[in-house]
Amino acid sequence: MRTHDTLDRAALVLGLVSIVSAVFVFVHGTFQLVQIGGAGLVVAVVLGLLAVVAGWLDERTLMLAAGAGFLIAAAVQLVLLRDGGSGFLGGNASTFSLWLGLGVGLIAIGVAAVPEATEESVEATD
Amino acid sequence: MAETDYAAVTDQATRAVPLLPSRTNRAMIAIVRIAVGLLWLQNVGWKIPPDFGRDDPPEGLYLSTTYAVSHQVFGPYTWLVDRLVLPNFPFFGWMVLLVEASLGAFLLIGLTTRFWAVVGMAQTVVIMLTVLNAPHEWYWSYLLMLLVHMALFATAAGRYAD
Repeated sequence: MRTHDTLDRAALVLGLVSIVSAVFVFVHGTFQLVQIGGAGLVVAVVLGLLAVVAGWLDERTLMLAAGAGFLIAAAVQLVLLRDGGSGFLGGNASTFSLWLGLGVGLIAIGVAAVPEATEESVEATD
Repeated sequence: MAETDYAAVTDQATRAVPLLPSRTNRAMIAIVRIAVGLLWLQNVGWKIPPDFGRDDPPEGLYLSTTYAVSHQVFGPYTWLVDRLVLPNFPFFGWMVLLVEASLGAFLLIGLTTRFWAVVGMAQTVVIMLTVLNAPHEWYWSYLLMLLVHMALFATAAGRYAD
C-alpha cells in the first residue's frame, strides 16, 4: 500500500535523478545516456533541486511546479528539435524523454491521494 | 450481529497480496524496468528530426528503415514500408520518436508499466521486421528485448502498473 512517506521519497528520487543527469555534460560517446548542455544544465539542476526540496518538505505545490517545469522544458526541447537542432537547451530526443518522465512522474505524485493515517498506524508509528 | 461484506473483504485481500512478495525480487525487477527505460531513452537520441536521416546518402532512422526493403524479413511488411512509410517518412519518424521517448519516460518512472510493456513489445516487433536481416544484426538482441518486455508485463513493475 502506498503511504505518505513513500510518495515523498518518490519526488526526492526523481529530483536526484535530474541532478545526477547533469553528469552527462561531461560524458560523451557510448555511455552518454542523455544529452545535457546549454540551458538544459540549468533546467536539470534547478528543477531537480526544486523536486528534492518538494519531496523533503512534502510540499505538493512544489512537486506540481517542478513537474510542470519539466513538462514545459520537454515541450520547448521538442519544438527546438523540430526546427532542426538542440537549440538553447542543448538537448536531444533523449533529453525530451527524460524530462517528460520526470514531469509526468512529479505531477502524478503531486496529485496522488494520500491515505489518511488511521489510529492503528499512528500507534504503530509511535 | 452486523453482516460482513465478504465480497468486498475478499476483493481487498486479493489486491493486498503483492505480485512480488520479496523485497529483493521487487528491487531486481525495478532495476530491469529502469534499465529497459534507459535503453529506449538513450536510443531515441539518434532519431533526429525533422528529416530523420532522409538525405543523400541516407543515414540514421531513414537508413535503418530502408533495410526493411533491401533486406526483407516479411513480404507484406516490406510492401507497407516501401509504399507507405518511406514516402511519408517525416510523419513516421515523429511517431517513432514520440513512442520511443514515451517508452523511455514511463518505464523509467514505473508508471502504467503494463501498458508501456505492451507498446514496447509492439515496437520491438516493428524493429525486428525492419532490421533482422540487415548486416551485423544479432537476432537474439531483439528476442531478448521482446522477452524483457514480457517480464515487465508479467510482473507489473512500478506504480499504477496495471
